[in-house]
This record gives sequence, C-alpha cells and structure tokens, in this order.
Amino acid sequence: MCASVKYNIRGPALIPRMKTKHRIYYITLFSIVLLGLIATGMFQFWPHSIESSSDWSVQKRSIRDVPVVRLPADSPVPERGDLSCRMHTCFDVYRCGFNPKNKIKVYIYSLKKYVDDAGVPVSSTISQEYNELLTAVSDSDYYTEDITRACLFIPSIDLLNQNALRVKETAQALAQLSRWDRGTNHLLFNMLPGGPPDYNTALDVPRDRALLAGGGFSTWTYRQGYDVSIPVYSPLSAEVDLPEKGPGPRRYFLLSSQMALHPEYREELAALQARHGEAALVLDKCTNLSEGIPAARKRCHKHQVFDYPQVLQEATFCVVLRGARLGQAVLSDVLRAGCVPVIIADSYILPFSEVLDWKRASVAVPEEKMPHVYSILQSIPQRQIEEMQRQARWFWEAYFQSIKAIALATLQIINDRIYPYAAISYEDWNDPPSVKWGSVSNPLFLPLIPPQSQGFTAIVLTYDRVESLFRVITEVSKVPSLSKLLVVWNNQNKNPPEDSLWPKIRVPLKVVRTAENKLSNRFFPYDEIETEAVLAIDDDIIMLTSDELQFGYEVWREFPDRLVGYPGRLHLWDHEMSKWKYESEWTNEVSMVLTGAAFYHKYFNYLYTYKMPGDIKNWVDAHMNCEDIAMNFLVANVTGKAVIKVTPRKKFKCPECTAIDGLSLDQTHMVERSECINKFASVFGTMPLKVVEHRADPVLYKDDFPEKLKSFPNIGSL
Amino acid sequence: MQSWRRKSLWLALLASWLLVLLEVFPLLHLAVPTRPRAGAPQGWPRWLDAELLQSFARPGELLEDGPQPPQALRGGSCNWGACFDTSKCRGGGLKVFVYPAAGPVSETHRRILASIEGSRYHTLSAAEACLLLLLSPDTPTGECDPVPPQWDGGRNHLVLSLHPAPCPRTFQRGQAMVAEASPTVDTFRPGFDVALPLLPEAHPLRGGAPGQLRQHSPRPGVALLALAEDRGRWHMAGTDFSACPWDGRCEQDRGPKQTHPGATLPNATFCLIPGRSPDALHFLQALQAGCIPVLLSPRWELPFSEVIDWTKAAIVADERLPLQVLTALQEMPLTRVLALRQQTQFLWDAYFSSVEKVIHTTLEIIQDRIFGASAHPSLLWNSPPGAILALPTFSPSPSDFPFYHLQQGSRPLGRFSALIWVGAPGQPPLKLIQAVAGSQHCAQILVLWSSEKPSPTRWPKTAVPLTVIDGHRKVDFAFVVWQSFPERMVGFLTWSHFWDEARGGWGYTAKRTNEFSMVLTSAAFYHRYYHTLFTHSLPKALRTLADEAPTCVDVLMNFLVASVTKLPPIKVPYGMWHQEARPPPLEPGGPGLRQEPQPAAQNCINQMAAGFGHMPLVSSRLRLDPVLFKDPVSVLRKKYRSLEKP
Repeated sequence: MCASVKYNIRGPALIPRMKTKHRIYYITLFSIVLLGLIATGMFQFWPHSIESSSDWSVQKRSIRDVPVVRLPADSPVPERGDLSCRMHTCFDVYRCGFNPKNKIKVYIYSLKKYVDDAGVPVSSTISQEYNELLTAVSDSDYYTEDITRACLFIPSIDLLNQNALRVKETAQALAQLSRWDRGTNHLLFNMLPGGPPDYNTALDVPRDRALLAGGGFSTWTYRQGYDVSIPVYSPLSAEVDLPEKGPGPRRYFLLSSQMALHPEYREELAALQARHGEAALVLDKCTNLSEGIPAARKRCHKHQVFDYPQVLQEATFCVVLRGARLGQAVLSDVLRAGCVPVIIADSYILPFSEVLDWKRASVAVPEEKMPHVYSILQSIPQRQIEEMQRQARWFWEAYFQSIKAIALATLQIINDRIYPYAAISYEDWNDPPSVKWGSVSNPLFLPLIPPQSQGFTAIVLTYDRVESLFRVITEVSKVPSLSKLLVVWNNQNKNPPEDSLWPKIRVPLKVVRTAENKLSNRFFPYDEIETEAVLAIDDDIIMLTSDELQFGYEVWREFPDRLVGYPGRLHLWDHEMSKWKYESEWTNEVSMVLTGAAFYHKYFNYLYTYKMPGDIKNWVDAHMNCEDIAMNFLVANVTGKAVIKVTPRKKFKCPECTAIDGLSLDQTHMVERSECINKFASVFGTMPLKVVEHRADPVLYKDDFPEKLKSFPNIGSL
Repeated sequence: MQSWRRKSLWLALLASWLLVLLEVFPLLHLAVPTRPRAGAPQGWPRWLDAELLQSFARPGELLEDGPQPPQALRGGSCNWGACFDTSKCRGGGLKVFVYPAAGPVSETHRRILASIEGSRYHTLSAAEACLLLLLSPDTPTGECDPVPPQWDGGRNHLVLSLHPAPCPRTFQRGQAMVAEASPTVDTFRPGFDVALPLLPEAHPLRGGAPGQLRQHSPRPGVALLALAEDRGRWHMAGTDFSACPWDGRCEQDRGPKQTHPGATLPNATFCLIPGRSPDALHFLQALQAGCIPVLLSPRWELPFSEVIDWTKAAIVADERLPLQVLTALQEMPLTRVLALRQQTQFLWDAYFSSVEKVIHTTLEIIQDRIFGASAHPSLLWNSPPGAILALPTFSPSPSDFPFYHLQQGSRPLGRFSALIWVGAPGQPPLKLIQAVAGSQHCAQILVLWSSEKPSPTRWPKTAVPLTVIDGHRKVDFAFVVWQSFPERMVGFLTWSHFWDEARGGWGYTAKRTNEFSMVLTSAAFYHRYYHTLFTHSLPKALRTLADEAPTCVDVLMNFLVASVTKLPPIKVPYGMWHQEARPPPLEPGGPGLRQEPQPAAQNCINQMAAGFGHMPLVSSRLRLDPVLFKDPVSVLRKKYRSLEKP
C-alpha cells in the first residue's frame, strides 16, 4: 500500500497529459502491476538472499538461543536396548532404498535444549567434540537435509559422556524425537559409558533399537555387526603438536604412562620395572608440580619429570591397561607416537575392530599374563615391530586423529553393511598408503590352467586387404584349438565381401563392422568372444605355422594372465637423452611382444577399452600407432608380470607386404615408437614393463630327437 | 488520447507477461534438483559461540576414571584371554589330545581321528596336551558322552561337532570352545568359538575334489543367478529378475527357468542362498562350483570367519532388499566379479575341500591365537596358497615367502644378499666384495665364479658370510628364470608322470617326452621356504617313505610344490645333458642321476598320491630358453653361449 501511494504522488510528473479520472484508473492498474512485479521479484530472490546472507543471519546463531523443550516427568522412556539386535532384525533398510551412489543418507536433528518439569537442564546442551562431530557429518557426502529421504538419524542430543547427563531424562528426550520409532535407524555416539560404581561398558541411557557407536564396548555388551566400536577421542590430538617419529629401536622397550591404575596392576608393573631396569619405565602422576602446569601434560617417575605425550615417542611398546572403563584415550596418544600399544584389557572390543586388523598394529595380552608381558614382547622380531609401529601411526592418522575421522569411519562402516557389494576392502582399511601404492593385485590371481578344449577366438583386424585376409583366415583355421574367427572390418567406406566369397572353414566366422576406423577396435570386448583366450592377429600375418600358433595357445594356457606373443621388443633407458628408447634389434632380453599375433585373456580387452589410464586410447587412435605398446603397458601394470615370447621368431615378414617390416626399420617409425613409450610411462607414472631373458620353446625344441616324435615340429623359422 | 490508452494497455500487458515470466522462472529454478553446495548451507549450524563450548570430558576425567580391580568372569560368557590357559602350550606349541570315543564310532569320526593323528599337532598324553579335543557324537545310536575325566569346567577344551549334534548338550559348555557347523550368530562367541562349514555326509577325508572353476571369467550366456532350493538342489534363473525367484512366492509364473533335477552344483555367476541354517550346505556347493555366494541375511556365522575375509569371496546382502541386491549384482564391475570368483575357488581348495583341511584349519586358528603377535597375517590366510601351506614360523614378514611379492609391492627389504658374478678373466673383484660387505644392509655375499680360471683360495675377510660358488652361465640362466618364478621349481632334468591303465596306477618316466611334470631336485632352483614346508608340514608317513627310498624325495618335493602352486615346474636347457648317457655334474654325495626309476620307486608315486588324496602334479609342454637360444646369429651376440653347445 505504501508503494502505491508513493507512486501516486509521482504519477503526474510521469504522465502529464492524462485526464484525472483515467489517470487514477491507469495509475492504479500500473501500480498493481508494479507491485506484483516487486512481489514476484522478492519471491524469486528470497531463497537466494537467505543463502547469500546465511553466514550471519541463520547459520551463525548462538547456542544460547536454541529452543527449549520441556520434558514432562511422565513422558515415555524407551526400552533398555535389545542385545539380540542385528542389522536384519532391528534396522529398517527400506529407508535406505536404492541409491546409485551406494551412499546412505544421514539426517541430523536440530539442536534443542531439554529441561525437566522444574526447568533444570537434562544435560549440557552440546560439547565441543559433539558439535565437531555433527559438523563433520553435515559437511560430508552422507548428509541430507530432507528428513523423509534419510536412512540414518543422528540426534543432536550429546551422549558422548554419560557422566555429563541425566540418564532417564535424556532417554525421554530421545523418545520424543520426531522419527524415533523405537530408535530404529538412529545412531548414538558415546565415548565414556557407564558411571560409578560399576561402570557399565555400554551407554546406560535406554535406547531401544538405536545403533550405538560406543567407546569401550566389551564382548558382553557389543552387538557384533550392529554396534560400532569407536575410539575414545584424545583432546591432546588437537592440543599438542607432535612431529612424526619414524619406526626403529627406541630408548625404552616398554612404557606405562597411565595415571590411575589399580594398585594390583601397578604392583605388577613395578615388578616388571624391577626385573628389567632401564628398559621398562613406569610413569605415574606428578605429586609436586608447580602451579599453572597442566597435570595432564606431565608424568613422573620417582623425581624425574617427563613431558607427555612426548615421552611416548621414546618407547617401543606402550601399555594400555583398562581402568574402570575399557576404552582409554591413552590408546590414541600411543598410536600417534608410533608406539606399539600393548592392550591389557580382557574382553575389550578394540575401536573399529569390525574392519581394522589390530594384530598388525598392537599386541593383546590377557590380564592374567601380565607378569609375562615382557618376554611375550621380546619374542617379536624387530622387523615386525617396525611394521607395527608404522601401522600404529597410520591407524591414528586415518581413524583416530580427529573427531571428523572417527565420525566418517563410523558412517563408512554402517554404509558398507547396507551396501555390501560396494564395501571397501580389507586392504583399503588397513594398508598404509605406501603399501597401497606399491602393491599389485593381479586380476587373474588364481593359478589355473584353462582346459585345452576351450580353445581360442582369433580376432583379425582388417581394412581392405581382402586377399591377404582370406589367406590368414585359411591358415589360422588349420590350428586345432581355434574355436571361432572374428573379423573386425575397420573400413567404413567399403562393405565386406559377400558371404559366398569367404573361405569355407570348420569353425564359425563372424564379421563385425566398426563405426570408425580406429586401432582400438582390435581390443574391443566383443560379445562374440566366447573363449577366454584371444588371438589378435593382423590381416597380413601369414607365415606363422599352425604348429607355432597351437604352441602359442598351449603356452598361454600355462600363463593365462600374460601376453603371449612371437616377436619380442625391448625398452631401454637412453642415458644421453634421459628418456626411454624402443629397441627392435635382436637382443638377449624382451619386455614387450607385438600384438600383430599374440594370445591374451579377453579380460584385457575389457581393461583396454574401459580402464585404460589417461588419454592413451585417444593418443593411439590419433597417431594410428602403438596400440600394441599400450596393451603391453596395461597388462604389465595390472599384473606386475612380464610377457612371454614364444618360439625364435623375430619379425613378421610376408612376401607381398613389406609395409610393416619396412616401416619397422624406418627411422621415423622407431622415433615414434620411442615417443609412445615415453608418453605411456608418464601417463602410468611409472615404467610397468618387466624385462626378462627367456622365451618359451617346446620341451624338445632343437633337441637331438626324432622330429616326427615331437609335438610341435614345425617351429623354427625367424 | 486513444493512442496513449492503447500504449498503456500494451504496457500493462507487457508488465503482466513479465510477471508471468518471473513467476515461472522460480518454479523452473525449484524444479532443478538442488546439488550439494559448498559449505552445506542448510546443514549443521556454525555456532557463533562454538569456541566457548566445553570439552565432552572434564580435564583429567579421561586420564583418571577410577581404578577398578581385575574383573571376575561373568557366568557362561568366555573369551580367549579369560578362558584359555596358554601356559600349557609353551614350548611345544599346540599339542592336541583327542578323547577316545566311548562307544561305537561313525565313519566321520574315524576320519577326523585319523586326520588329527596324522598331523603335527597330535599327542597321546592328555597331560602334555594344551588342547583337549572332544568329538561330540554324531550317530543317533551313539551314547551321549558323559563329562570327560579332565573336563575342569571345560578349560582348554574344544568340543568339535562337524554335524549338528543329535543329542542335546548333556553338559554345560562352560569354558570349552565349541567348534560346530554353522553356529547361530546369537550363541557364537567371536574370537573364542570356531565356526565350521556344514559338511555333506560324504565329504572326502583327504585331497578332495578340486574346484569346478575352469576359467577365470564367467562364460558368456551362463545364468547370472542360481537359487538354493531344498535338498541341495539349485534353481537356475536367467537374467529376468522380475520373477523374483528366491522367495518362492512368484516361482510359478514368469522368468526363464530350468530346474536341473540331477545337478548338484550350480552353474551360474551368483548363487543366492537364504539365511536359514539348513541352507548353509548350499554355501559349500557354491564355493566349490565357483559360483559367488550371495547370502541373504545369514543367521549363522560364516565358516572360519575369524580369519577368512569373506567380503573377498561372498556377498552378504539384506534379504529385505531383493531388487536392490539384484540390480547391484547386474551392475557389478567385471573386475570385482573376477576377483570374487577366483577367491571362492582358492578358499574351497585351501580350507574346505576335505575333512582333513577343515580340521587342520580349525587347529591352525587356535594355534594362531596362541601365537598372538606371530600368528599368520591376514594376507597369508586370504591369498593363495593359504595359511595351512604358509607357515608363520618361517618368517613374520610375507615378503620372505615366495608367494606374495606382487601384493607386497617392490618395497626394498632391510637387508640384501649380494650375488656377485665373476666371469671375465682377471683379478677377482676383491675391492667390490669389501665395498659391498661394508654396507650396513648386506646380509651375505654369494660369489658365483664363472671364470675359466680356478677360483682363488683366499678371499678377503668380511663381516658378513661369504660363499663362493663355482658356477657356469648355464646355472646363471636358470637362476635368472627362477627370479621370475620364485614360487616354482626351476630345473634341468625332468620326469613326467602318467596314468598306467594296465596297472591301474600312476607311473612316471625319465624318458624324454613332449611334456614333463617333475624336475629333479639334485639340480634345481627353488625357494628355501619349501625346505621349511617339507620338514614341518608333511605328514610323518610320507616323510618316512621318502627317507626309505631316495627317489621318493624328488617325487615328494615335486608333489609338495605342485600342491602349493597348482602349477607345473619349469624346465630350462642345459647343453651338456642333451646326451642321455652323459651323467650330470652333480656335487658328490648327491643322489645322482636316476634315469629310469626303479619299480619300487614307481610304487612311491602311488603312495604319495594316496597320501595327498589326489594327484597334484601338473604337466607342462614348454621349456624356457634364452631369447636368442640356437638362433642363427653370431654367438658373440648371445649372453648364454655355453648353452649353445650341442
């Protein structure tokens, strides 16, 4: 209304020639339109204005301003918690549903302040760590704002420390959450469970079916495959700057740094120290510290004062004894120092034990074996100790370092249960990056010799040399183990010859026409390939004998995970030019085979087409060269193994086509091939090719033995 | 006036159009799905006073949580630390005593007893044993055993039942570990009990049938799914999942399906197995068939779950989301399918194919618990050849074994052995030897003396052991080849085995044929680990056999390596041995060349095959030669010239 008045006043100046009656009419109309415009404009920009100003208006609110919820004394309390809960009984997977990314959606309830009838708060509203945890979840890919699409719910009620809350009232607060539904799909985080005097090993707050991510579970409270055991976060992780110390022997062999130990344990430790002197160090609380020095950062032995956690870096093994609670924050400090934790806490479920292999990073000693702990540790070889030190540090970096790391690992574990077919592997969880980088997992690792009866599929790549192609087909069809012949017709401008013109052979012959003349078409995983073994062969390779090809197939059966070819080639390091060089001379070594005729597993076709790193495939198609080198790189990289060269053959020569060998000798060709090797090595980031000094020949090759008794007599020309 | 009126009308129209447009755009804007924006605008708020928040624990609360005395045992529940007394196992390692059966024993019992008695764990005295094994009776007629004499609350006892016990537990299991087939998850005590596979009645004692997988990748056109049905049968389903064939509700209608009444092993890529306990039998069938088990919310603990990483071989999915599971199976990347398939076969072959393997795996798991830190690492359990064949006592580090070089990557070891080859005539490289010996990482030096001149009698004193080997380039080549195949045997002289129809048994010959399956150990390269394995893992009976007939040692070694690698040995040329009459230059005291095995030796191969339960030897048709071997090029170009001599 204000706006229209304003425009009314301005009206006359804008439209001077108007009659008053009409003027009022039109001006009103106009102002309504304008008003509408402004309103729509505001409507349109409204959400944006929230976003852009979110930093100050909505997002950054004060915790003191959160809404207060009053809990009536008689509001419902959840059931205690069902020990028999498993994912398939207590968890509602339907909420998670199908998800192309295989990621669960997590919703976080908004923060409230709960008070009882008398207005007394149920707990402190939120701790620094729980705020960090919820922030990490909210920033992650798991987070959703939409409560209806969520699969997992995280209450904003802070349960990290049971001592900081009122058990019954907190349970009532949980029960009134909008989607509580007996706690189904709710995830609660707790690090310090139980309280005096009996210190339960799981959170005492009744929680019905809710999942519990708890620190300090024992075998009796932990629901295998349902709950998640998490570390007790050590605030020192963020407070203290502790540079990494590499593995190796350290000053103290065994160290105990915990302050509140039961006298019985302390006696045992003192006995250990008495027996082993300098090598064992048992620290305790400092009694006479001057004011202002935080007690948490100092430890004492007699009158000697040590800095904590720095002192942990001086020890090879560090004792982590259970106190009233099984989960101890000291574990985190110990791991960080690269000290191997010696866990003395029977029945303790170690953090993330569902996925982490603690045997690699720690030593568990039964409580009753405490007197023998020293000799148990001494029996561990130094190499293994160093491995454990490295592993301990890696566990801290990946899963203990921050609240965020703890929260994300917990969600990942739950995610892997719900989408098991996309779960990350043991190696992903446990191998430090240095190991992951260096290790090769051969995709065809099972030692297996495929039956001869399976045979192989020959794939002939051709453009237009029909006559030569037909000769190749006729020759290859003589090989006993051939089971199918596939011709890849790479010429889009010309049709393949009519059916009647093709040679009549004993096995099925299929012609595949391609959409584009690309070298990569040779390595496409055609549906027509039914055998595992593939023989890639050029349309001008006619001099390979049937014996040679059959023998090549036999060799492939013994090495099904390798490239098996005839002429071998080598890569060399050119010291002058500081780069790789392609070598086709007759050397004593080979590192590649030409794919003008080579056997390999059809899986490598799939890899070549879909998993070739970088732009190698495009490079090959653009340069119309080096597809064989690319294949050699790919197979060697994925299997970590060398090629097998069979028979003495050194080159493919054929009478009527000098092109290939003529080209091979050509200097520019050599330069181009060298360039390929350098290019591929840079894309792979390493030189995967392996050099070997052997080739495969038939057992009796060139032996003084009657030729007619040999299995493959017709082998030998170069 | 009129024109002005028209103008203003147009203006109004225009304005209303604008209005409409402006109304539509926000709607369009809303229709576009909101992608996650940086900083998650609607997420958890960034509190203004976050800095003022208190830590979850009061200062000092984390460090002092009130000391507590060591806890007493809770009734019934047990874990390894509390309920097993490892002090009894000190020194001798795991020694197992088996209670003699009270009444008549079944065939399965006899087999179990035989396999334990033949193992390295067995002891006859209950007093020196650290594990007392009680076989729970499995015959309906058998008496349910009374509490055994040394029971002691079940401490250090293992109650083993391969088949579900017909009689109810007559005594509390107490502190005894229970190894039973497919235990329910509710009663299973992780880390204490052992979950066994549910074995069929006729499971072989030794050896066992090999896995059915003949090729790495699934054959095209093979059924994607097989569904476990009653009585060990399988129901094949095609690629049409709409028939939802696993829950029986829509079985009668759509979907391409053929039931193979006689077929016992499924021929499909994935095998759907419902979660009820009786279906556990299907699990082993699927493993053997190389059909990836897809377990729908199993209520039973997977066999040997303590050590076997089943996520590498099977998929545990939720039975409530069948369509999602099926979609995931269909879309599973080929790489994963390949890996899962191969792992099923490896696991079947390593741990499940015979009763003996199941028993040995059980004992190996318990031994690992006793070993603690020096137990098998997970890698040894979960990659070929498996934990029974990879002894952790050999080395704590997987890279010392011949099997894990690939997985371990090419990480440099802390120490190396220097192999110095001396070929050119002239002074021995004394300076080089001293320089190498000075390195802190050098463990030993091997000098391979290949020069024409005799090797000097005096060598420099070094801090590390120095060994001089008089060798030739022929040996060099074999060694270089072995480096490429560290898990296999690389040798010069070969034998081949064959099935003798006439005698109905195995035979072997030294005659030169087009293939071979054994190499003579008198001149062969192989990993030193096989010595450890030979000494510690072979049954006593087989080793006694080998001690009696020296030829049998070769056969036994070849059997052992072949059963580990499942691959043939490798033959390399040795110029001088081409004439059969010429004896090979062997070190004195060696077994010598045995051209034609004696008849007694022929018998040895059959006894070995019986001892292994199957014929592990694999034939090869190739020989590895130097790249330029016998090529018509100048000899000077060739690295291994001595091999060229006829």
